[in-house]
Amino acid sequence: MTLMQRERSGAPAPAGAADAGAVVAAPSAPNRLRRALAISEAGVLVSLAGLVLVFYLLEPAFLSGTNIRSMLTAISFVGIIAVGQTLLLVAGEFDLSVGSVAGLSAIVSAWLMAKGHLPVPLGILGGLVTGALVGLVNGVLVVGVGIPAFIATLGMLYAARGFTYVITNGYPIYPLPKVIGNIGSSEVLFGLGWSFVILVVLAIVGDLVLRRTTIGRNLFATGGNEEVARLVGIDTRRYKVVCFMIVGALSAVAGMLVLADGASGTPSIGTGWELTVIAGVVIGGVSLFGGVGTVAAGIIGMLLLQVVQSGLVVVGVNPNWQTVAVGLIMVLAVGVDIARRRVSLTGGARKRRAPAETAPATEGA
Amino acid sequence: MTYVLETERLGKQFAGVPALSGVDFRLAPGTIHALIGHNGAGKSTLVKVLTGVHPAGSYDGEIKLDGQTMRFGSPAQARANGISYVPQEIQVVEQLTVAENVYVGQTGLARGPLVSFRELRRRAAELLARLDVPLDPSTPVGALSATQRQLVMIARALATDPRVLILDEPTASLAGRETDRLFGVLNRLRETGVTMIFITHRIPEVMRMCDRATVLRDGRSVAELERAAFNERDIVAAMVGRRIEALYPRRESVPGEEEVLRLEHVSVPHPARAHDVVRDVSFRARRGEILGIAGVVGSGRTELLSAIYGRLPHSGTICVEGRERKLRGPADARRAGIAMLTEDRKGSGLLFNFALRENVTIGNLGGIARWGVVDRRAEGRAAQGFVQSLQIKAPSASADVAHLSGGNQQKILLARVLMNAPKVMLLDEPTKGVDVETRQEIYRLIIELADRGVTLLVVSSEIVELVGICDRCLVLADGAVVDEFARGEGSEARVIEATTTAAPPVGEVLA
Repeated sequence: MTLMQRERSGAPAPAGAADAGAVVAAPSAPNRLRRALAISEAGVLVSLAGLVLVFYLLEPAFLSGTNIRSMLTAISFVGIIAVGQTLLLVAGEFDLSVGSVAGLSAIVSAWLMAKGHLPVPLGILGGLVTGALVGLVNGVLVVGVGIPAFIATLGMLYAARGFTYVITNGYPIYPLPKVIGNIGSSEVLFGLGWSFVILVVLAIVGDLVLRRTTIGRNLFATGGNEEVARLVGIDTRRYKVVCFMIVGALSAVAGMLVLADGASGTPSIGTGWELTVIAGVVIGGVSLFGGVGTVAAGIIGMLLLQVVQSGLVVVGVNPNWQTVAVGLIMVLAVGVDIARRRVSLTGGARKRRAPAETAPATEGA
Repeated sequence: MTYVLETERLGKQFAGVPALSGVDFRLAPGTIHALIGHNGAGKSTLVKVLTGVHPAGSYDGEIKLDGQTMRFGSPAQARANGISYVPQEIQVVEQLTVAENVYVGQTGLARGPLVSFRELRRRAAELLARLDVPLDPSTPVGALSATQRQLVMIARALATDPRVLILDEPTASLAGRETDRLFGVLNRLRETGVTMIFITHRIPEVMRMCDRATVLRDGRSVAELERAAFNERDIVAAMVGRRIEALYPRRESVPGEEEVLRLEHVSVPHPARAHDVVRDVSFRARRGEILGIAGVVGSGRTELLSAIYGRLPHSGTICVEGRERKLRGPADARRAGIAMLTEDRKGSGLLFNFALRENVTIGNLGGIARWGVVDRRAEGRAAQGFVQSLQIKAPSASADVAHLSGGNQQKILLARVLMNAPKVMLLDEPTKGVDVETRQEIYRLIIELADRGVTLLVVSSEIVELVGICDRCLVLADGAVVDEFARGEGSEARVIEATTTAAPPVGEVLA
């Protein structure tokens, strides 16, 4: 009996390595196919491609350079927040205050530069710190005090927006330093601005962190079952608070990019973003229940949402229908998410294995 | 004699494993009938069949009420036919008043769409007077003590004028004096002709309260006793049976001398009430020792393990290898070299959003990561290593854990624990819901680990299992150690006697 062969092997003995690797690394062909289909991005990618094709066939101008650029620019701001929101959702929480935090951080940064006459880097830093601090408050309210994220961050949605109007009295803040306007108007890549570049960089980093690192693994464990995560020694509370702070800081980045784009500190920056972000990442298959999702899928979901909105405009549908479409797609996506959970996770298992689970040995008397 | 309630050859299986076989249970009118048996004896299953939780068609045999065969499709049907059940856990709505709690879920009192609260209070007052319980029907239940809440639950069960009242361990959460009060109420009810089934594992309570008793063991009715024939020794003997099995591998080696784990005066307070669920427990465990902890569900055994793992706040001292450790959370315990295997695989063990391999490695990512990046190959090798050494039967290391058998799921959790190479392992019901073959493997693994110097604390409801594999065994009852014996000195009878005759703690104040 070799039961104990490697109970201490953090890095296991090389002896069994070859056959072990063989099993893990060389799946049979059908297995490979199944795995490809199981990739969470696959479904939403196919839907995205399908939609793009439909809109293109209906109106070839849909795929014009201008329209593609405008769509990518449009998702850049919210996409940056979506990266953070995906991490937070995977950890089992969510943040409704992102739009207001984006607005508040942008205004604080604009105020520091225009009224406080601070140098641009300090102004940007001020915005980032504001976002992260608001995230910290959200995190402490949810994790420390135990207020449900829905209520805590909904409260913050109002409070942060209110602050923005308190600071500005409703008037835009300008003039901003010239550099800011330059950042906003410069074209970096294929006629796309800094916001797109930052989105791409953050999305890649975020995706790798979630997919490859121990941090990512611990986030999935936290969102999958917080009790289990705690029992294996993960400081789930710290992970959640840090995620809230990341979401806050990324909201600040997005808000300040809009600030640069318009070269003026408008107090309405970020209004309505919270639902766009959540709708987008959820469409991408990031689970509202925690523990499931990837950054790539979240961004693809955002893109899908944008394609629908933009496509409906391009093919000449009354713009009011856009909102209806967004609503329908989001409910559909969450429905699919729930169905998928039911099939692949505990529910499906429960159906199949219920009798064994209630076997007499488990009967307390 | 005509019986109020009767079962004929009642049988119930779960996935082919019998939980009840051929049970003939007879309930005479106006009596308190004890239903006794150790954990897993089939008490709960029998009650679930009687109360319609397991509907007609899911069991064999017949249930007769007043001589008529009944086929209950749901608990509501059973209730409508006069079978009322008071569950072990107190289930009250704290925000509602006594009267509202008594009549919660009953629609007969409504006048049109409105509820007449005056009528509600009047009826509740009548019912409470009948129980001789001095409670104001308009008191919010949140302000009541445990006994008073228990009485509200009994009043609720009586509100439908049942033929049979089933009480599931009604004294489990009560202290000595509170129990006296409850018994006073039950006596009164018996005088007014109510027939009761009294489920318990405390033999003194049976001797004191019950007219007849049925002992269940391994899903069979092994003894039916009249009050005149009640005898503590006979009841224990019936509960124990003479099941001698060569199931337990023999340990050839002996544990070391060096002390690894020491507890001094460890107590764990009840999360809500003013008494302790673990009371002043002290013991030492040596290197390579297998220390069993026996006791019924609710004796504080899981809480004791949880305290050692830092999951529950506790007083007293816990030392690992002579050093005192402040264990404020599982992370502290892990740093001290303590690992725990949970009893609740689904709730606090497996991660269903992870495949097999990630479930194994989640507790020790540091061992397979470089600069914070998980080395997928090393992870695969580690997981595959455990799949082979523990003989986990799964299609691959990336299999979905939800579809594996209980035994294989348990092995995955064992692998997770083993990957940390702990000094002390806390195993809570390691063989619960696990097939016989895997049980043997787990026993052998426990012995092998002990041989390698790991100190193991094993909690189990199956006493024979503890007697079979442990070097030493503590017996817990009501949170305190009531007996201790070394290998060869213990027996199932000794444990059952210790757990069933221990007096509940006295001197606790009524709230």
